[in-house]
Amino acid sequence: MILDIKDLHVNIGDKQILKGLNLTLEEGKVHAIMGPNGSGKSTLSKAIVGHYDTRVTQGAILYKGKSILEMEAEERALEGIFLSFQHPIEIPGVNNAYFLRTALNAKRKHEGKEELNAAEFLRVMKGHLEALGMKSDMISRSLNEGFSGGEKKRNEILQMLILEPEVIILDEIDSGLDIDALRAVSEGINKMKDGKRSFLVITHYSRILDYIEPDYIHVLKDGKIVKTAGVELVEQLEEHGYDGIEEQEPLRTRS
Amino acid sequence: MKLDTLRHRNSEALAKVFEVKEQNPLLKKLSFLGLPTKKREAYRYFDSESLLDKEYKTLSYIPKKIQEADKLEIVNGVVTTAPIGLRVYYGTYVEVDMEHYDPLYFLGHLLCPNVIIIEIDGDREVELLHRYTESNTLIHYRIVIKNQANRHATIYESFDSESAKGSLVLYGYDITVAKDSTLRIIKNQTIKDDAYAMMASHHIRVGNHANVMLKTFDFGNTSALQLLKVDLEEYAHIDAGHLLYLSGKARRGSISYIVHKGEYSSSVQESKNILEGDARGIFDALIRVEQTAKYTKTQQNSKSILLNVGTYMVAKPQLEIYIDELEASHGATTGQLDEKQLFYLQSRGISKQEAKKMLIIAFANTLIETVKDARHQEMIQESFEKAFYMRAVK
Repeated sequence: MILDIKDLHVNIGDKQILKGLNLTLEEGKVHAIMGPNGSGKSTLSKAIVGHYDTRVTQGAILYKGKSILEMEAEERALEGIFLSFQHPIEIPGVNNAYFLRTALNAKRKHEGKEELNAAEFLRVMKGHLEALGMKSDMISRSLNEGFSGGEKKRNEILQMLILEPEVIILDEIDSGLDIDALRAVSEGINKMKDGKRSFLVITHYSRILDYIEPDYIHVLKDGKIVKTAGVELVEQLEEHGYDGIEEQEPLRTRS
Repeated sequence: MKLDTLRHRNSEALAKVFEVKEQNPLLKKLSFLGLPTKKREAYRYFDSESLLDKEYKTLSYIPKKIQEADKLEIVNGVVTTAPIGLRVYYGTYVEVDMEHYDPLYFLGHLLCPNVIIIEIDGDREVELLHRYTESNTLIHYRIVIKNQANRHATIYESFDSESAKGSLVLYGYDITVAKDSTLRIIKNQTIKDDAYAMMASHHIRVGNHANVMLKTFDFGNTSALQLLKVDLEEYAHIDAGHLLYLSGKARRGSISYIVHKGEYSSSVQESKNILEGDARGIFDALIRVEQTAKYTKTQQNSKSILLNVGTYMVAKPQLEIYIDELEASHGATTGQLDEKQLFYLQSRGISKQEAKKMLIIAFANTLIETVKDARHQEMIQESFEKAFYMRAVK
């Protein structure tokens, strides 16, 4: 297993959102988390990456066997955990290419590799831009400023492709995407599937799962994983909704 | 000379000091307004009294033969070089703005009966370098700028000093922007380690259908104040941007008074301020729309980032409106760096310190990038980063 979450209790402000969540991500597998509004899906992703809104009150998050709860957000990122934001933040005045190169060089430095100069970086990026159907001027603009919803999501995937993380959390990656953008984004994600990287796909709807085939489906309700099964669970959810799911004994996926 | 001694003299004594008639209207205005004190709103947040209360050496302003060079250079208030084709000479100025709010404007004119007059013909760019080389000295001079109708001129203003510690610079512009013309003034000034203090009092008259872009980039850890009055005639426009990056015990900023006099005149005023250490920033801006200025459009905005608890920003955007037919907006925000933006950068492996630097530079860049000339934009960027890394964010 690459990520092991045990009995996780998380508060946002004074409100408890996650109430003893257990989840294990297997290396090289795609795990989808589905659940109704307010069940705690985004809180889970925030807790994994160390978002300042979240306060872990109980439980553990182990990444490659080590606890990451004491780590700052940037340390978790440098270790290989990546969150694709549901609502990517706009930062006027920060050039997109400069941001991407700074992030990549921080990672390379952390791994003891040589930093890339501007020309080397552009070579790395050119192929990714074409694959994602992104216009080259998007990297010379301010980070996410004035980007459409689809452009923002493509830019998240571009960052993922460049940073090559080991655990990839995709929070509502399909929201606000038209069919072409969804296809391009999914292709970018599928390109990263190499049998080693693990994915945690957080979604409301099954549409994205037509493009990124999951190995496991987890249903999150009221701050807990209440059911884990294979892809066949999607059909059951479509037929009966979340109310039709009964809580099962805590399950661990194979490790 | 100690300027503060002027505070206690009667008109007769002042007339003798400035060698003018007792009835001189400038003298009357100075007596009426009085020298700056903290009781005056404009100077409430700037310690002018200690600057005026100091004994300074004085200089004799003897015009020198102006040499040809790429730049227009003014050393200790005297023109030393000018580019070919630029008309620069000394003369008296008779169109002093008698409605100016600042006593230092009138003091400046009384101290400088001979002003430097710059006439810009045609479309051209002028690089103006002010240099100060005398310590503990009162350096005072005034500049009059005139451009031609239907022409576009740009002035890039920069400052340099050597051994000018303890000096006070009192200077200012009287600018008449001809009708249907464009004048851009880009000022880049870093003052650090008490190199000198400055109080600059300007007046800009923008003619019918004329356009002014005034961008000031003020950095460093020393005290300086810019006082500006602008009169806008019919269809006249000003775009005034002001970037402050202060550290240490700097007291710095701008006080402005923009008067819409003509119909369809417009103004945009944007102030961005980044403060750290014990710095105090000032943005005190009043826009007045007179009864004659129907269909005015005006907006003013101040955004400030305080990097630590010792800093203080005085942001006072104000509108004074005497008509109904206009569009006007103003606002001010003061806060810290955006937590969401910081987290986003950190979530990509960028350290908190590096992320803060990126956000601060980004905040400044939105104004720096309004300077379209690439070379000057780079120079301002470099000045900012020098000032920034001199006092790196913790």
